[in-house]
Amino acid sequence: MAVLAETRGVAKHFGALSAVDSVDLAVSSGEVVGLLGSNGAGKTTLIRLLLGLLRPSGGETLLFGALPSMSTRRRVGYVPQTLGLYDDMTVQENWTFTAAAFGSARPALPESVRGSKDELVGSLPLGLQRRVAFAVAFSHNPELLVLDEPTSGVGPLSRARLWQDIRDSAEHGTGVLVSTHNMEEAEQCDRLVVMVDGRVAAEGAVADVIGSRTVVQVTCDDWRRAFAVLDADGLVVQVQGELLRVPGSPRQVEDLLAGHDLPAAVATVPANLEEAFVSVVSRGPRP
Amino acid sequence: MWAMIVKEFRQLKRDRRTLAMLVVLPVLLLVIFGYAAKFEVSNIPTIVVGPQAEQVASQLQGPFQVVEVDPGAGKSFVESRLRDGKAVVGLVTGQRPLLALMDGTQLFAAQAAEGAFAHMARAAEASGVTPPAVTVQILFDPKLMSSWIMIPGLTGLILLFIGTLITSLGIVRERQSGTIEQLAVMPFRPWDVIFGKIVPYLLLASLDLTVIVGVGMLLFGVPFVGSVATFGLGALLFLLVTLGMGVLISTVSQNQGQAIQLAIMFVVPQVLMSGLIFPISSMAEAVRWIAYVLPLSWYIEISRGVMLKDTPVAALWEPLVVLAGMAVVVLGLAMLRFRRDLAPSARHGRVTAAQPEPVSP
Amino acid sequence: MTWGLESASVRFGTRTALDRVTLRAEPSTVSVVVGGDGAGKSTLLRALVGLVPLSSGISRRPSKEEIGYVPATAGLYTDLTVEENLAFSGGAYGVVGSELAHRSTELLERIGLANARTRLGGQLSGGMRRKLAVAMALLHRPALLVLDEPTTGVDPVSRSELWRLISAAAAGGTAVVATTTYVDEAHRASTVTLLEQGRSISTGAPSEIVAAVAGKLGVVRSTAQPQGLSWRWGSSWRVWSPTDVLPEGAEPLQPGFEDAVIIACLADEQEVQPVGRAR
Repeated sequence: MAVLAETRGVAKHFGALSAVDSVDLAVSSGEVVGLLGSNGAGKTTLIRLLLGLLRPSGGETLLFGALPSMSTRRRVGYVPQTLGLYDDMTVQENWTFTAAAFGSARPALPESVRGSKDELVGSLPLGLQRRVAFAVAFSHNPELLVLDEPTSGVGPLSRARLWQDIRDSAEHGTGVLVSTHNMEEAEQCDRLVVMVDGRVAAEGAVADVIGSRTVVQVTCDDWRRAFAVLDADGLVVQVQGELLRVPGSPRQVEDLLAGHDLPAAVATVPANLEEAFVSVVSRGPRP
Repeated sequence: MWAMIVKEFRQLKRDRRTLAMLVVLPVLLLVIFGYAAKFEVSNIPTIVVGPQAEQVASQLQGPFQVVEVDPGAGKSFVESRLRDGKAVVGLVTGQRPLLALMDGTQLFAAQAAEGAFAHMARAAEASGVTPPAVTVQILFDPKLMSSWIMIPGLTGLILLFIGTLITSLGIVRERQSGTIEQLAVMPFRPWDVIFGKIVPYLLLASLDLTVIVGVGMLLFGVPFVGSVATFGLGALLFLLVTLGMGVLISTVSQNQGQAIQLAIMFVVPQVLMSGLIFPISSMAEAVRWIAYVLPLSWYIEISRGVMLKDTPVAALWEPLVVLAGMAVVVLGLAMLRFRRDLAPSARHGRVTAAQPEPVSP
Repeated sequence: MTWGLESASVRFGTRTALDRVTLRAEPSTVSVVVGGDGAGKSTLLRALVGLVPLSSGISRRPSKEEIGYVPATAGLYTDLTVEENLAFSGGAYGVVGSELAHRSTELLERIGLANARTRLGGQLSGGMRRKLAVAMALLHRPALLVLDEPTTGVDPVSRSELWRLISAAAAGGTAVVATTTYVDEAHRASTVTLLEQGRSISTGAPSEIVAAVAGKLGVVRSTAQPQGLSWRWGSSWRVWSPTDVLPEGAEPLQPGFEDAVIIACLADEQEVQPVGRAR
């Protein structure tokens, strides 16, 4: 698989603030890479470096084996979270405008959005607007796609259909970089990169990121009191229905609950991606 | 309601631009209208005609500057000279009293001339001489304005501005940011929210009003000869109309841009057609009715009457009643619309079974 | 006391925004409403708190003094400080003086803003803003807490902190109703309502929604789209058959909650548009 986009020890400083610090990242052809991180972790800066919208303070960025330039822009498709469509133009007009901007031949609108070609983009439901934005970004057959929160705000079925579009283009050889806060979306990626404070703190497939992390699952008839006890001790308790999930050691949890006469079943279970993410972030970047 | 008012003032304190508008705009308007109307005129081009032209011309002192003397000419000659702009004042002698023609379009010069005649009359009286009788006839613009006349009107303009523009912006901001939803759900009665939004602006407008009247009196010597209570009543009624208009505008605007557009559409005609700048009597009959539907016209009648002429409240019943009527209609309409936003479930009785449960203790 | 909506409909002119939706909000439980943009989530919450009149059905809610509501768009004033925001909310609900001071300190410590009392709402990050908005709605210990998309656009760390705050309210006896577009958040709820085009297409505990799946689910590991009703999951396909017959090449799979949600949406779409409009 050919590497399409690559950063080598790339860094970006804004004054004293180091937004991105020696990050190595590669997106290969046909691959869907998920970029995770809290707000301010440096995801947006990294994407802007990769697209050549920012000049790195250190290290280098390579797009298709060369430094980002006007000519590499034609080979990249980008869908910002705000979609970048004109609300007051029809689907067809948006399409034609983008085709003209990229100087591409005028291919016909894809089937997925053809049904609403004469409707104003602003009047469409958000799920369909996102499909239009995808279609527009895909129109010039980009080799690299960068998507920021691609399914934010849409319902489950629309989300599945948008991912169908993403997967389709990956299967045609496009490399896809998805920045997201959504764990369901992250779980659909081939590989994840987790950023903390401008550095890569974890990477790999979903299972690699979770690793051997576990949480303590508490089943207790009086889950409310159990929650109050654990919460008061400063543990980050998460409630699932009437189950409690707590990071930490089962002994500590058992002792705490027993100390308050709360009979409970305590088990150690594998962490989910969100719990793993929180654990990665709270531990900070790896040395 | 107290929580609303405190919140509103805290927000206003942070909103530097609105604060600046509240302070700078009145001052700016005062300076422009007040000082502009107070220009000292030292030379008034004057022509003197008629049999005693030579004699009268020799008696004229500053600011009159005699530019032409023609004992053989008459009134029609003066008129044509004034029309051509060769002079501002023309004295026609040979008749008793003397006739002074003035060019009303030369506002400041004409005012100065009027003043000078009055001064001459007083001086003559003081020295025990029978003052020369002068009949003043103003051509082209028979109603002269002065800063005396401008300041009372100006107070209305500022009330209009605060009431309509700033109030509607304040409410629309709340709608645009979505916090109005929350206010509707909080245990406020709709009136709490409505008055909580209006009262701060009412207070600010009253403050601005006091400052302007005060500055007008100190700086420009505008008299305030009438009853403060009558003036206050008129201002309050007018302010209620403009606040109501502001609320009404906010209920039909989705964003601040729309609110500004509508407020401008409401304010500009009043500036032009209420008699603030151009006298209503000089308006064409066909459009004069417009002035009578504008609240500012009525307010100006009250404020000029009270401040300058000590018009008693009984003589002002007409504008007061009109303003009160407008306030009831506009404010009522605004309240109903605003209330609908705040308590939609109370909109009509079509809700078949939606009743909140009694409060559980 | 159980709050909620019973067979509630809301019509705006000729458009039906909410169509006979039932939602229960019980003390000490979290009910989550899942749906996309335009599904009617906000209308449902607005109907619940009384911002929108019902055209039919019943709405049971406590008095205004006992509701805490955070709309999707805001929840706080960006031009007031953290402290002033809390004071305003307190004033509105009659929480003043030492009670306000005590409660504010407690909540600010919980949401990690104890040292940011004088910061303006507008200077807070998105996640912090949402936390403060929820804290403001919790200040008066409401019986019913209604949150419209509290976690949309919030990063996972802030999200789990928000949920900890929400869970604590539920553990303290508050009935919580929250909407979300993230299906995985529904796991946190005791009851989930799936909303699609103003209709509730499935409701119950997450396990009940999974148990309610009819037909068969299969996984197809190929790049070509299989016959029937299918969607992508990672690099493979999921295929669902309303009957018990799976297409050839599909391995049967026990549906998870996410699968169950998509199946419910697909089944609903089939029912509404039986022709199976190609999209």
